Amino acid sequence: MMWKTIYIVGIILLLAACKQSGDPGEVQVANFPLSVSNEAPALENGELTYGLVADEPFEGTLNRVFYSGQPDAEIMQFFDESLLATDEDGVISNDGAASYHLSEDNKTITLKIKDGVTWHDGEPVKASDLLYTYELLGHPDYTGSRYTFVVSSIVGMSDYHEGKTDKIAGIKVFDDRTISITFEQATPSILSGIWTAPTPRHYVGDVTTDEMTMDELVSSEKIRTAPIGFGPFKVSKIVPGESVLLERNEHYWRGRPALQRIVVKVVSTASILKALEKGEVDIASIPVDQYDNARKVDEIEILADIDTSYSYIGFKLGKWDAKKKENVLNPNALLANKTIRQAMWHAMDNESIGKMLYKGLRFPATTLIVPVFKTYHDAGNEGRPYDPEKARALLDRAGYTDRDGDGFREDPEGKPFVLTFASMASGESADLIAQYYIQNWADVGLNVQLLDGRLHEFHSFYERVQKDDPAIDLFQAAWGTGSDPDPEGLWGRSAVFNYTRYTSDKNDELLKKGTSEKAFDTDYRVAVYNEWQRLMVDEVPAAPTVYRYALIGVNRRVVNYSIDGNSPNRYVWRWGVSQ
Amino acid sequence: MLTFIVRRTLIMIPQLVLLSLIIFMLAKAMPGDAVTGAAMSSPDMTEAQIEKIREKHGLNDPWFVQYGHWMKRALKGDLGMSYVHKQPVKKLLAGRIENTVLLAFFTLLVTYAIAIPLGLIAGRWNDTWVDKLIVGYNYVSFATPFFVFALLMLFVFSFVLGWFPTGGSVDIRMEEGSWSYVVDKAKHLVLPVLSGALLLTYGTIQYLRNDIIDTKVKDFVRTARAKGVPEGKVYSRHILRNSLLPIAAFLGYEITGLISGSIFIEMIFSYPGLGQLFIQSINGRDFTVVTALVMLSGTAVVVGTMLSDIILSIVDPRIRID
Repeated sequence: MMWKTIYIVGIILLLAACKQSGDPGEVQVANFPLSVSNEAPALENGELTYGLVADEPFEGTLNRVFYSGQPDAEIMQFFDESLLATDEDGVISNDGAASYHLSEDNKTITLKIKDGVTWHDGEPVKASDLLYTYELLGHPDYTGSRYTFVVSSIVGMSDYHEGKTDKIAGIKVFDDRTISITFEQATPSILSGIWTAPTPRHYVGDVTTDEMTMDELVSSEKIRTAPIGFGPFKVSKIVPGESVLLERNEHYWRGRPALQRIVVKVVSTASILKALEKGEVDIASIPVDQYDNARKVDEIEILADIDTSYSYIGFKLGKWDAKKKENVLNPNALLANKTIRQAMWHAMDNESIGKMLYKGLRFPATTLIVPVFKTYHDAGNEGRPYDPEKARALLDRAGYTDRDGDGFREDPEGKPFVLTFASMASGESADLIAQYYIQNWADVGLNVQLLDGRLHEFHSFYERVQKDDPAIDLFQAAWGTGSDPDPEGLWGRSAVFNYTRYTSDKNDELLKKGTSEKAFDTDYRVAVYNEWQRLMVDEVPAAPTVYRYALIGVNRRVVNYSIDGNSPNRYVWRWGVSQ
Repeated sequence: MLTFIVRRTLIMIPQLVLLSLIIFMLAKAMPGDAVTGAAMSSPDMTEAQIEKIREKHGLNDPWFVQYGHWMKRALKGDLGMSYVHKQPVKKLLAGRIENTVLLAFFTLLVTYAIAIPLGLIAGRWNDTWVDKLIVGYNYVSFATPFFVFALLMLFVFSFVLGWFPTGGSVDIRMEEGSWSYVVDKAKHLVLPVLSGALLLTYGTIQYLRNDIIDTKVKDFVRTARAKGVPEGKVYSRHILRNSLLPIAAFLGYEITGLISGSIFIEMIFSYPGLGQLFIQSINGRDFTVVTALVMLSGTAVVVGTMLSDIILSIVDPRIRID
């Protein structure tokens, strides 16, 4: 579920971002549309080509329980669905193939599958198919990445997961179309994180009986080259790693899809613009660094929205305690004093980076909850805007001054203060960005050096950051946030991904409140998360650097296509072509 | 002959074992493993889940223990599971090898189709303008970096002229088994094959040319001419047969080179075969696949050289060793 991207109207936020950076007159990016402008009627039997922009073949694990690559997820959207639809905030709604209601105590959710929802082979989608998804996710042999909090907190799931029982006590199937799932505790995370994608048990085979093993299931052709779903298109053929041919599903529960067929194919990042220009591909994402050239292509329209991922500078404040399974602060860390961290954030000129290197398609980030979560992102929180004067004042106040006149500040005891910065070698601008930040920090008198004097490849970078290499004082990284606004998985005390190793009682308290039963009240949850975002801006375990736009190029012949989370045209079955 | 082949096959075994040992040590020396940096893509993953994955794939054991496990399974023909692709490595390779073999086969075919006539012409009429032209082409092709040339081909013939597709191995809309399917597959092969073949010819042309020039002044050729054998026959019967020896000997090595060379071709032309899989697996730290692939190309090298020796001993009875 976490792959689900939530789309939002970005313009207002963008303007807000401009204003914060003290440059109200300038709008960085043209007003990106969220929907195509072509309003001609769709062809009766149109065919559309969707480009998977990747430099590698897609893996082809076409099942929501097992897949790992993003291209696989993009393919699945055409033939498979979750039972519950989600709204623009990523919260479940009743617009999907099933409706739901929550019990009084908010712990039990009951799903009712609508009439006429059938798998591509004609079998009805059954409640037990959803149960099967959970039986797979929690199975002792399951080694995918999706046995997450929302799954493990189902009543009886941990017993099932440990193999003590073969029934999940908290999941009840009442009849073919009704199923209820009970969680140990009531938390609003259910509303954005619950799994409702069923698995066709009758088709792929059953691992809960002795029919097949988990490994056999994952490598089965029924998942890889002949998968079925209940989505708007049926997979008719797959050339592994390369392309997928999909035909209209005449019995789609929402109605008859507009297109007759869709071809999905892998196109390399180097050739994507040419492919769009020549009409070989109708819809494809465009790498940010090709934006300038993309604007010159008349054949396409560019849509854009804000991405769920953001970049940040993390400050190493402790280490992971493998025994206690939690993060532990190190009071002697070089950056233990939060005033320095605040100063470092103020010293970074993110706006220039966004404008110069990304044509404004990246812009200064303010808080650790991305603006995609419209309701929970605190637009009133300005973060720490670029202000070198303030940075210097903060450092002076903390007692870090230049005593020997070499242009760099010494620590309060007068000893040299040198910080080591780790950054990843990814893309052409990585080096420029790292050097620019180092320059920014030098401008306020901080001596920051690149780890080993160079950038590091993805795996060596994460290997060292993850293992809390004592040589690293700060690092630059990026990640996606998933569909749940809850920051626990990235910033919690027991989160192994919390690479800064920051912890505090206040942080624990707020994160807990944010997923408590009371947080079903949105206003309450907003208040808690606003407070948490303020706490993070005050404590600065990490300084978010830039939020990002994701670009999509669409051929002008495409109609009824939208990336607006509110538009009915966000659903594939509506897409069409006019010529 | 038989003893020769048997002996060569037996020598292969320690060679391959040594190779696997080296690969394993090197693979494990790469920083990180398949779950490193999981936060990037799966921020919901828990620590326990990550540990479970490491445990299942044996990533926590020291490398020699992992090697032991791997060896034991490999002897039974089981190459393990790919973490990234979540399917048995054997199946994964089987799915990709077809494209690479197809590519290698046609590249080799086209290479010889170009090189042998050119080498013959250059050798027979050496120091004429034709010869100079061919030798000139040889120098240029020898000096051109492969990826530059391939990118240029892609740019000119796919992007600008639009004669050939920009990537992939076949258009999915084609009916499998139909004539248009075969034509489309061929169309996808043209650019990668030509890019490879045009640059691979230099060795063959050079050897052939030199050998012909050497041979045509040898005694047995003079004898043939003195007997009144027509000039054309002197070349086709007497000289060519001798001069093709080194070419045949190099066949095995060429095959080996093609398999490792496929990495570049496949990356540039987005042609999904073993080469692309290799890069993808290294980037994803998919150890089982990396090991299997290096073993495969290692085996190709060993078998290729053996093939060369065998061919040589068939065409040239003088060097047959027993």
